[in-house]
Amino acid sequence: MRKPPVNRIARDAVKAWQITAAIYVGVLWLATIGGAIISYINDLTYWYVAIAAIISVLSTYLIVFLFPKIRWRRWRYEVFEQEIYIQHGILIVSRTLVPMIRVQHVDTKQGPILKKFRLASVTISTAATIHEIPALLEEDASELRDSISALARVNEDDV
Amino acid sequence: MMSKQQRLHPAAILFNFFKVIRESLFIIILGFITFRDNNSTYFILGISILIILLAAYSVASWYRYTYRVEEEELRVEYGIVIRKKRYISINRIQSIDLTAGVIHRIFKLVKVQIETAGSGTGAEAALKAVKLSEGERLRSELKNRNKQKEVEVEEEESETPAYPFYKISFKRLFLAGSTSSSIGIMLAFLLIGVSELEQFIPDRFYNNAMTWVIGLSIIIIAGLALLVLFILWVLGIAGTMIKYGNFTITKNNEELFITRGLLEKKQLTIPLNRIQAVGIQESIIRQPLGYVTVFAEIAGGSLDKGEDFSTVLFPIMRAEEVEGFLQELLPSYAKQPDEFTRLPKRARKFYLFRTVIPMVLIGAVIAYFFPQFSWIPIILLIGSLYLGLLRYWAGGYYLEDNHLIIRYRGFSKMTMVIYHNRIQSFETTQHKIQKFQKLATMKLSIIGKLGAGRHYTIKDLDEVDADKLMNWYSYQD
Repeated sequence: MRKPPVNRIARDAVKAWQITAAIYVGVLWLATIGGAIISYINDLTYWYVAIAAIISVLSTYLIVFLFPKIRWRRWRYEVFEQEIYIQHGILIVSRTLVPMIRVQHVDTKQGPILKKFRLASVTISTAATIHEIPALLEEDASELRDSISALARVNEDDV
Repeated sequence: MMSKQQRLHPAAILFNFFKVIRESLFIIILGFITFRDNNSTYFILGISILIILLAAYSVASWYRYTYRVEEEELRVEYGIVIRKKRYISINRIQSIDLTAGVIHRIFKLVKVQIETAGSGTGAEAALKAVKLSEGERLRSELKNRNKQKEVEVEEEESETPAYPFYKISFKRLFLAGSTSSSIGIMLAFLLIGVSELEQFIPDRFYNNAMTWVIGLSIIIIAGLALLVLFILWVLGIAGTMIKYGNFTITKNNEELFITRGLLEKKQLTIPLNRIQAVGIQESIIRQPLGYVTVFAEIAGGSLDKGEDFSTVLFPIMRAEEVEGFLQELLPSYAKQPDEFTRLPKRARKFYLFRTVIPMVLIGAVIAYFFPQFSWIPIILLIGSLYLGLLRYWAGGYYLEDNHLIIRYRGFSKMTMVIYHNRIQSFETTQHKIQKFQKLATMKLSIIGKLGAGRHYTIKDLDEVDADKLMNWYSYQD
């Protein structure tokens, strides 16, 4: 197989993803606790609560602790003069080639969680697809954006 | 040349009027419902005033809508209170389409739609109703100027007065209709319709009818069902006839020119440089008969054209005629390979698995809730196994220097010819089991209608082949 791209994304991405995931899983935990309280007050069976608790524990482990790490390990990118090469995916590994002449525009964006870690993600759009490199260091992201945009400018092909 | 301001044909007033009526229909009905009981005189008075106002509006907007060709621009001015002016530079115009609806044809009129490269949902300008002769004159004027310029730039092109021209024969059209998959769609609609209808029929009547139907012998019921199917089939033929009647396609310098339609006559122009891919569709019904549909993916375009997802280049032709047809119209897309690189044997189980699993689930549900119908899941299972095999057999690709031909099957077998410089991005994916089996899935994207992406996937290629395709696509040395 083709060699994977060389560059990794920022180490802090794991933390940022874990926080995001923790918020989602937190909702699940709230629901579980709510269910437990209702069962306690109404003297219902605890079966459902037990199942919900198991699901919560499992998804906490998977979504919050395991997946972000694997995701980070898998995430790689490389920018050549002619094209951008991206690899990502946890269970399904996907590798994408985006030629520079097909790039229509590049964006950087930053939500509150990424901002906390001084990270930003880069979005690359072609006429048909959108690709995102998540969580680069702020400086790296803006540098990447500028360099891609400069390289993309070079020769406009007919479309 | 034509600097005089022109108005649309007065029939445009009618179109305007119907349009505003249609748009305000909701308000009128609402008014009708609320005022119905109180005082019908006031209501009728109100309605008449409204209609007079709308009519006046239609006349005024017709009067104010003018267009002219001036200084290499099409200049449209419109708007009653707020005057709007839209100038479209002639060399930005990509296509000029003439459409004639039923009402248009009575008055010998056409609707002229002018499109530029910009993507959007509407045509850049639409002249609702002009005389047919005027529409054609306008088109040739807008186009000729364009051509003059091209000639200057591109050197005198060899003049080929005999343009390649294809017309659909009645026999073919009939065949297209009778093998169209619209039967299935219509059947589905009918079923939904019947189940919805139940709510509106009074219960007693419904029950009586049901006992009557059940009382009939099974043969009559079967007969009725067959009759319904037959009617649907005939409707399918009629639909195809209306849509593709008088289908012709011509190549004219740098564009394809298509006319079609029995009732509503449509004329489409497709600039060659906007074609992103050419495909050949072999539907599951037509394939055994050796008939295919040729279509193209066009970048941009607008919803106004009322086209489906892809533009049909020819509704039905024999598989062996395709190469000759494309040779004349789109020579660069013509060559059909004899031999595709197929999927490896170990991919077969994945294909079977993917197609069969949903059927197994549906079948299990049916068998559980309706044990008396458990023959249905068995038939579904056999059918899906066969479909899975068909899909596996269809999958493949053929690579030749700057273009790629891929083949895959959903229900219809599709063969797409795509050039390297039209592919927007290329992706391979591989999950754990695929990796273990040394298989990979490839996906490529091109520009489709309305600037949205169109994606083509071949699952479970040999890892080596997927890699080869990726290296072919890569711009690195």
